[in-house]
Amino acid sequence: MPNPITHDRRYFEDLAEGETFALGPMKVTKTDIIEFATEFDPFPFHLDEKAAKQSLLGGLAASGWQTGGLSLRMLVDALLSRVASMGGLGFAGLKWKRPLMKGDTLSGTATITSLRRSNSRPEMGILTVAFDMHNQRGEQVMTLNLANLVEVRNPGAGAAQ
Amino acid sequence: MTRWFEEIVTNEPIALGSHTFTEQEIIRFGKRYDPQYFHIDPEAARHSHFGGLIASGWHTVSVGHRKMVDRLEAEEETVRAEGGTPGVSGPSPGVNRMDFKAPVRPGDTVSYTLTVTGKRASNSLPGWGLLFNLIEAHNQHGELVYSADLVGFSKLRDYRMPLRLRLAMALRNIPGIGKVFRR
Repeated sequence: MPNPITHDRRYFEDLAEGETFALGPMKVTKTDIIEFATEFDPFPFHLDEKAAKQSLLGGLAASGWQTGGLSLRMLVDALLSRVASMGGLGFAGLKWKRPLMKGDTLSGTATITSLRRSNSRPEMGILTVAFDMHNQRGEQVMTLNLANLVEVRNPGAGAAQ
Repeated sequence: MTRWFEEIVTNEPIALGSHTFTEQEIIRFGKRYDPQYFHIDPEAARHSHFGGLIASGWHTVSVGHRKMVDRLEAEEETVRAEGGTPGVSGPSPGVNRMDFKAPVRPGDTVSYTLTVTGKRASNSLPGWGLLFNLIEAHNQHGELVYSADLVGFSKLRDYRMPLRLRLAMALRNIPGIGKVFRR
């Protein structure tokens, strides 16, 4: 029986390598930064402007995990909520190139770089997406390759590659 | 690490503590950062292959990061209490690998472990060292929830900056000129 939540979404077969999705933009405020850092990354350089100025970051900057979380949110809005997603497998090559500072605007692109059928689970395909995130000056903030499972519409048609 | 780079011992697992995930916090994180139906809607999640609500992997990992920060800050307190000067940890340049192995469900308790698997002086950031950290998270059944290779900066205690760099740093601090140098 098809999943009633995802039956009318795009399946693995409907995706193509090279497809690109625009992410954001989203402005990050001091309140956003402190709220996330208080819960998940309470280093002084993410909570306090004075400590931040004296740190390697040079000013109040978002936790790298928040920059990643916001980018993920953008991918969910642009793609993952529109496909028959079966959850994340993991990621590789997460690089925090430059801190996302208070008042910066985050935007970027996500490009499908690979699509392959799972060897062990014929109903699953593995979607790999490359993130390329920037600030409002066009400076690269973060890159990341995310692997996500997507349901295959016709698992019987065509053996796993 | 709040020990100095020079004193950090490799291949010695450090327990970072555990966290029990509630349905409420899973949904709250999901709504903000990963609003896929199996992270935010317990009813709809029953139709997924997970069979119910699960935490966003990003949530599980963010809690793991918090556990590491707490551990470092506790260690810093201990060093100060003993009259020592704690080391300095800096921001992370990235994560080489993150594998999500088992879902985290409401009520699950996840325990985190950090192992420094290697260290070396940074090539790009003089005065700092790089730590190669393995983080592993297990649930209450002993199943691996995720495993990750993270990189962290740690300040060198025994570093003396070369004259050339000291000059460059001094120039950076001059208003006007500094801005040009920081480009």
